[in-house]
Amino acid sequence: MFNEKIIDPAELRHWGGKIELYWIYTSGEAGDRFFKALKDEDKFIAAKCKKCGKVFFPPRMYCEFDFSETEYVEVSGEGCVRAFTVAKLDKNEKPLEKPEIYAIIDIDGTDGCMIHLLREVEPEEVQIGMKVKPVLKDKAEREGKITDILYFKPS
Amino acid sequence: MEVERVSGLKFHKKQDVAIVGAGMTTFKRRLNETGKELSFLAIKQALEEADMDLSDIEMVVMGSAPDAFDGLHMKGEYLLDGSGGSDRPYMRVFVGGGTGVFAPIAGYWHVASGLADVCLVVCEEKMSSCMPHPQSAFKYIWDPILDRPLAPNLIWIFALEMNRYMHVHNIKHEDIALVSVKNKANALDHPCAQLAEKITVEDVLNSEPMALPVRRLDVSPPSDGAAALIMVAPHIARQVTDNPVWVTGVGWALDTTMWTNRDLYFPRYVAEAAKMAYRMAHITDPRKEIDVAEPYDPFDYKELHHMEGLGLAKKGEAPILTREGVTARDGDLPCSPSGGLLGVGNPIAATMGVKAGELYWQLAYRAGKRQVAKEVTTGVCQAWGDLMQVGTVMVMSNKR
Repeated sequence: MFNEKIIDPAELRHWGGKIELYWIYTSGEAGDRFFKALKDEDKFIAAKCKKCGKVFFPPRMYCEFDFSETEYVEVSGEGCVRAFTVAKLDKNEKPLEKPEIYAIIDIDGTDGCMIHLLREVEPEEVQIGMKVKPVLKDKAEREGKITDILYFKPS
Repeated sequence: MEVERVSGLKFHKKQDVAIVGAGMTTFKRRLNETGKELSFLAIKQALEEADMDLSDIEMVVMGSAPDAFDGLHMKGEYLLDGSGGSDRPYMRVFVGGGTGVFAPIAGYWHVASGLADVCLVVCEEKMSSCMPHPQSAFKYIWDPILDRPLAPNLIWIFALEMNRYMHVHNIKHEDIALVSVKNKANALDHPCAQLAEKITVEDVLNSEPMALPVRRLDVSPPSDGAAALIMVAPHIARQVTDNPVWVTGVGWALDTTMWTNRDLYFPRYVAEAAKMAYRMAHITDPRKEIDVAEPYDPFDYKELHHMEGLGLAKKGEAPILTREGVTARDGDLPCSPSGGLLGVGNPIAATMGVKAGELYWQLAYRAGKRQVAKEVTTGVCQAWGDLMQVGTVMVMSNKR
């Protein structure tokens, strides 16, 4: 009944298939402002709810908890490590030449966090709560993307 | 269509369900806003109309069609924060194009069961993200072995179906084009419309051929947008409005996946869904008891097809009713007074705004310039989708 012993698909009539689509993603009212400020002005923008005062980072045009509008506020972009991992394999499970440290970073002055790389620090030196700051690409090379932040390093 | 009378505990519910607010964004290509932001904008309007805050919402139903449009797997979860779903029970439903009426059906069962007294239903679609064209995504709904190697395009199916419908009932393209003329003109009064215009039958017949008999003006456009509805229990409805609109019946049904094996000229999936909804609403003669209808009109012939499936016209009779003006906004059975998908636009799931949303506005006498001429009590809205085989139907009434 069960065909589990057929492990070579060539034993059966078979067809290959690929889903050939691509997408253009935009970052929205608030996201656009965030990336343009980062690219052109070295600034980090967050959004503060006009009702509950929660500060969203990256910014949003609405507060997800009470659907009030938000106002944009500038923050330093610095923060501290909330959690981290030392990755030895890449996204396709191939060994990385050099392990990468990924951290969730609590951004100062906001209720938000972001995931990014930690560099200029050895894995055994990283501690939860450690202060870190962003290292940006040279202005001329920036594209208005999250990778305009190269990584975070201890501050 | 004959519908049996139902008595006893069939379709028993815990409480009645009313719609007390609706909102929608403009339908057009909206590169700037994210799907989350579109959802937020539609919900804000619905909350305002219902005089409510997000904190009044107990549960949320999100409707959005294929993940392939936005290019995100688990799209429902991605859209959650703009959909008001954080920190409350939230679910996404999708049956392709049928989602625009299926999502409010899901909202209905949330409230009718007594699980929620206030349920927000929001539908979103952002088709413009998908490249090279939203149409490309439809390639991958076909059977990968039997259909896909022939490189079909979605318009093919509709062309084949339209061809069969015209052949069986001896219908002329001129009569079908009248639907496009009517709906695009109706859309002139809709503030959210993408393709509102005064056109003629000749314009339709001379427009670009896509897959004959289907021409460009027989078809609704791809679009971006969102729509929202607030569905509540009777004791809440009484607090927030004097004009609630009651959901009196819901129905849905699917025909076989093998679309080649269907009748094509008659949408059985709509007829079965309609019978379920009519039984629940105690409607035995839809032609006499329905005052206003929003049949799903992604193509002009589809409005006619669906009117027949909904039992609003006999088989082959819908084009005659259209020609005689019965389905016009000042006719005896106004159909798509919103302007429909042909006129307002077709952001798949978000067409809830011109189907369930419009029916609510008509029955609440809140449709403004689009308000139909006749007095209305009961109406029906319908959508169609999945692999062209699902019918979703909702009956509403402003009398309880």
